[in-house]
Parts: sequence; C-alpha cells; structure tokens
Amino acid sequence: MKAEDGKKREPVIRVKNLYKIYRVGETKVKALNGVDFTMYRGEFCAIVGTSGSGKSTLLNMLAGLEKPTRGEIVIAGRHIETLTENQLVAFRREKIGFIFQSYNLLGTMNAVENVALPLSFQGMPRKKRLELAEKYLKLVGLEKVADHMPNQMSGGQQQRVGIARALVVHPQIIFADEPTGNLDSHTTMDVLKLMQKIVREQNQTLIMVTHDDHLATYADRIFHIIDGKIVKIEENGGFQAG
Amino acid sequence: MRFPDLLIMSINNLLRRKLRTFLTVLGVTIGTASIVVMISIGVGLKTFTMEQYASSGSLTAIQIYNYGNYSETNDKTNPEDSFMTDDTMKVFEAIPHVTSAYPKLNMNVIMRQGVYEGNVQLYGIPLEAMQSIKLGQGSLPTAETSDMELVVGNMVAQNFYNAKTGKGYWDSGKMPEVDFLGKPVFTIFDTNAYYQSQAPSGEEGQAVAAPKKYMLRTAGMVEGGPEDWNEYSYGVYVDLEKLKTQLKQVFKKNPIPGQPTNKKGKPYSYFVYTEATVNVDDMDHVIEVQKTINNMGYQANSQMEWLEQSQQQSNMVQAALGGIGAVSLFVAAIGIANTMMMSIYERTKEIGVLKVLGCAMGNIRSMFLLEAGFIGFVGGIIGVVLSLIVSLLINKFLAPMFLYGMEGRLSIIPLWLALPSVFFAVLIGMAAGFFPAMRAMKLSPLAAIRNE
Ligand SMILES: Nc1ncnc2c1ncn2[C@@H]1O[C@H](COP(=O)(O)OP(=O)(O)OP(=O)(O)O)[C@@H](O)[C@H]1O
Ligand SMILES: [Mg+2]
Repeated sequence: MKAEDGKKREPVIRVKNLYKIYRVGETKVKALNGVDFTMYRGEFCAIVGTSGSGKSTLLNMLAGLEKPTRGEIVIAGRHIETLTENQLVAFRREKIGFIFQSYNLLGTMNAVENVALPLSFQGMPRKKRLELAEKYLKLVGLEKVADHMPNQMSGGQQQRVGIARALVVHPQIIFADEPTGNLDSHTTMDVLKLMQKIVREQNQTLIMVTHDDHLATYADRIFHIIDGKIVKIEENGGFQAG
Repeated sequence: MRFPDLLIMSINNLLRRKLRTFLTVLGVTIGTASIVVMISIGVGLKTFTMEQYASSGSLTAIQIYNYGNYSETNDKTNPEDSFMTDDTMKVFEAIPHVTSAYPKLNMNVIMRQGVYEGNVQLYGIPLEAMQSIKLGQGSLPTAETSDMELVVGNMVAQNFYNAKTGKGYWDSGKMPEVDFLGKPVFTIFDTNAYYQSQAPSGEEGQAVAAPKKYMLRTAGMVEGGPEDWNEYSYGVYVDLEKLKTQLKQVFKKNPIPGQPTNKKGKPYSYFVYTEATVNVDDMDHVIEVQKTINNMGYQANSQMEWLEQSQQQSNMVQAALGGIGAVSLFVAAIGIANTMMMSIYERTKEIGVLKVLGCAMGNIRSMFLLEAGFIGFVGGIIGVVLSLIVSLLINKFLAPMFLYGMEGRLSIIPLWLALPSVFFAVLIGMAAGFFPAMRAMKLSPLAAIRNE
C-alpha cells in the first residue's frame, strides 16, 4: 500500500448512507444501518464481522443482487441502485466476477465448460471461449482435471474452478462471500493465496466476506462490521508476505 | 447468448432427466398422433365421399334438363323462347367460369343383332364431349370417318332380349351375347313405324311397311365389365353432327320423335335439345354457375350441390374427431407445463447462479421455452410417424369394415396435415412452457447465495 501512496488511487466503489431494512412481520431488521465507504482499484478488501452482522447483505447489494432500502452505490461511475434488473444482469456480465461459498458449478458441464459459461453469456464463440477457459484453468493449476465433471472433483478443486469462472471475463471487481467456508485450513490458504496473487497481477478489486479474522489479514484493508454498521476500517500493510 | 449455446444447454438439461423427458415426450407423441389420426379419418371420409360423387359424374359438370317446357307454354309466350338450341349453348358458354357447353340429343332407338333386339338410348354429343368417355376397347370416332360410328356403354347389352323367346337379361339373368365390336348392329330410328309394322295387322286397316334398318359400326366400348357402373354405362353415344344428318335423312320432312313441332304441326328447321352439359373451370364455381342457369329458366343439377351438403357434414365429423384428439394434446400440454415447473423448482439455485454470472433474463426465458418447444418438437415428429403407422393399420384392417367393402382409404394423412402438426406440437410445447419460463426468468439471483 505504501508503495502505491504516490499514485492517485482510483475509486471503483463508492457507498453513501446505505440502508437495508428487512420487514419480518411486525418487526424491522436493520441489516445495514447507514454505511459509507470507498474502495479503490487494485485493492483487496475483507469484510469481517460476526454472524448476522450484515456482511452478506452488504456484498449482495454491491453486486446488484438486492436493492437497497435507501442510499447510493456507485460502481465504476454508475449508480447501480437505479438500474433495472435487466441492466443489473448486463452490468454483472461486463464488470463483475462472483465466487460462491458453495462453488455452484453447473452439474451438467465439465470444469472447462463451467469456466467458459460466463463467456457464452457474452456471445463469444465456443472455440474461442474454451481456449480462454483453458488458459484460466491453467492459471488456477487445474489443467489436468479440465474434463472432469463437478462431482468428480474435490471441494478445493471445485472452488478453484469457481475462481477461474469468476476471473475469465476479466471483471473489474470480484466478490467472494466466504469463498473458503467449505474448505479445510490447508486448502483455504491455497485458495486464498491464489486469489490474492491473480488479483494483484491483473490489478482487479477483490472484496471478500469472512468471519475469520486470520483470513482477513491477507487483505489490504479490513472493514469491520457490527450490527449493520462499519465500525472500523483497518489499513493492513505488508503483513501477508504471500 | 448464441442460439446454438442456448440449444445445447436446453438439450443437456432435458437429457439430465431422461425418464421424465421421455414420459413428457410420450404424452406429446400420443396427443399429436391422436389429433393427426382423428383428422386423417375426417380427411379420408371426405375424400371417399368425393370419390363416390366423382365416379357418378364429373364434379365440375352441370346437367341441364329442358323436358316438356314447350308443351306447357300458353299462347302468350312464344314456345320457341324456351327451347334449348345450339344458340343456347353459346349463351351458356358466355357465362363466366364456363369452359364448355355440350348439348345432348336423346333418341330412343331399336338395335338388332342376330336374334337379339334391344331398346337403346342413343345420345348425340359433340366429339369434344366424347373425350371424357373412358374406353375399355376400340377407339373414339373421329371427324374424319364419314359413317356414323357408335360408342357403346358397357351395360347396354343388358337391354337386349331374344326376339324369338322374348326373354332377356332381366328374365334369365344371362347376358345376351351381343358382339358390338365384332359384328355390325342394325339400328331402327323410326320406332313407331317399326312397332306398327310388327303389330298384328288388320284392325285399323292397312299394314305399315317396316322402316329401314341402318347398319352401324361400333368404334369403341365404354370401360368396365357388365357390373361396373359409370355414367356412360347404359347409353350408346354418337357424334352429334352425324346424328343430325342421319335423322334428317331418315325422317325427311316428317317430325322427328322427341322434337317439338310448331302450331301447325310442322317440325322446326333446327334441333331442340332436352339435355345439355355445362363444364365449369373449378369445383368452387359450380354452384354459382348453376344458379345463373337456373335463373335463365332451365333446370340445372350438379353433383356439387349434393357434395357440398355432405362436405358440410364431413366437416362437422372432422371437427368432432379433431376435438377428441385435441383433448389428448391438451393433456400433453399440461404434462409439459408440469415437467417445466418441476424442473424450475429443482433448478432454482442453478438459475440464480446463471443470473449472478450475468445471463440475460431473456436468455433464461428462451432456454426454458426451447426446452418446452423441443419436447413438443420431438413428440410431434414421433407423433406424426406413429400416426402414419396407425393410419396404415386402420386402412389395412378397419377400412374394409367401415367402407362396406368398397375400395378406399379410411385414413389419409396429407402433407398439409403432417407438417403443420409438428409445428403445432412445437407451438403447444412453447405455450405450455411460457408461464414456467416467465417464472424462471423472474427468479431471484439471491437463490444462488442461500445455502440450503
Ligand atoms: N431476506 C431476509 N429477510 C429478513 N431478514 C434478513 C434477510 N436476509 C438477512 N436478514 C437479516 O439481516 C441480518 C444480516 O444478515 P446477513 O446475511 O447479512 O449476515 P452475515 O453477516 O452474512 O452473517 P453470516 O456470517 O452468518 O453469513 C441478519 O440479522 C438477518 O437475519
Ligand atoms: Mg453471510
């Protein structure tokens, strides 16, 4: 971070006064209670907090999967809270990669086809997108299991396919909601370092939700959230030697 | 998304649940087959009745009769006005859609060959009108031959009897051995004179001399055995122009039997016809032309007016049969909708993932519509193949029972039925898949995030 201090940092996500209130029967649940922050290009941000603190809610809102009750979200210069569902889908297709906790690979496709899937939504011809997908599979070290179906792969392998799938469209921002939640501690480190390395190399922004403080130490900045409020943003320079 | 990609995804999804897809396709197959088979029976019945009518005369022909009009006319009107003459034919031919009008001169004559004698209807028709007679043996007379030649109906021999015993076909059941093509027949035109000469003379005075017999050659026999009836079976046909010349020669200045006479009892200088045939260019115009001719004061009949009535009945039968088939296709459509709904429930998470990854809503809808349409397509194709097989079996085993042993097909599947029914099955599939597809499109992407 210090090395980059000289450069002017380019903001990619700007959140202003964000609220999300769920109504459950008579009671109101304030999942997000007035959130403001900015995230920059090339940054690895971790969002940490206890269970139920609103981490997933925040991430979903940034990814345009849910509409905020109030407030502004500007991503790459666009107010996404005003977009229609169709526009949001197009926005995710062009700008965003998503890594799921439970991998969510399509069971009917093998590894390389799964990676190529988001490219097919962009209308890329099959041959071209399979080539690109293979390149990304190699990047995550899975060229050997390219023709395996998801049920023929380990959890760690599946998650690495998931990472390749998120990266293949070369998105500006990658969201990951507890990407290592289903993995053992050794595989968790592998996957985390992999994500960190690739995102660094490609100058992309990675936003990861976790409830594990140790994992958060790999990030450049750590956003602490309690009861729907960001209570602390921790600059975290140089700890993670990688 | 590109169309091939969409298609591959849809087909893969269908292949993932093979048994369920198979059962749904089976439903559509049965639905399509029952519609096609039911309609094919309607088409078959319609074609059958049409053929029945066509075999008893052309469907584009109008028969015009003008019997006895001239005897009823009172003093005020000119009897000549209602005559059907060669000029009337020109008037008929001027009616729109009429291709030709042929008069028919009808004579009752006696023919003899050896011991056999018969009362025969002799028809003089234009040579062109003879072209529609289908011959079994011999050839049609041409304009070149100078003699009047006969075309003899295949059942004419039934009218002959043995002049010595007085017994004929109707008494003995034995066909008189009249050989038209091999031997000449003798024709007596003046039947009155003939009967008078035959009658035991004496009562009223002088005996009448037997009229002259004319030897006529037979040029051709109408197609068919003695049992195969068609519209030309019972008549003997000759060239109209030659018959006119012949009659003038036979009767000279005397009135010709069947021809009217003027108030002074003298014959006219021209021939008056009692029958004529008007040919129309298309079946659809027959009724219209027939009305025009009726309005001109002639009695016009056609096969078409009867056919039209029975076609209306056939249409109703066809609609009813089609309706029965439609019910089973409707049930199949419900099956498709059900399958699609189930598949969407199962794939809620997967659809969510697609949306998170940026798959356009329209693409998701298309994917499900394609799945449903594909079920319809495969079901439709197999259904049409199945109905072709069923149709074959019906024609082989059921048709002889229903058509009373007559030759014909009970079930006919024309191309206009086979092809659109596949298209229709696809349409039904898509219609059934429409609401499930809309539902899939509107599913929340959050479903992908939730861990169940
Ligand atoms: N659809 C919903 N309807 C009602 N309340 C909701 C809904 N989604 C989330 N909440 C509530 O919002 C709050 C924040 O939920 P969120 O899922 O963001 O927590 P989290 O920080 O991701 O927790 P965890 O670490 O367990 O995943 C919780 O109190 C939750 O009960
Ligand atoms: Mg969560």
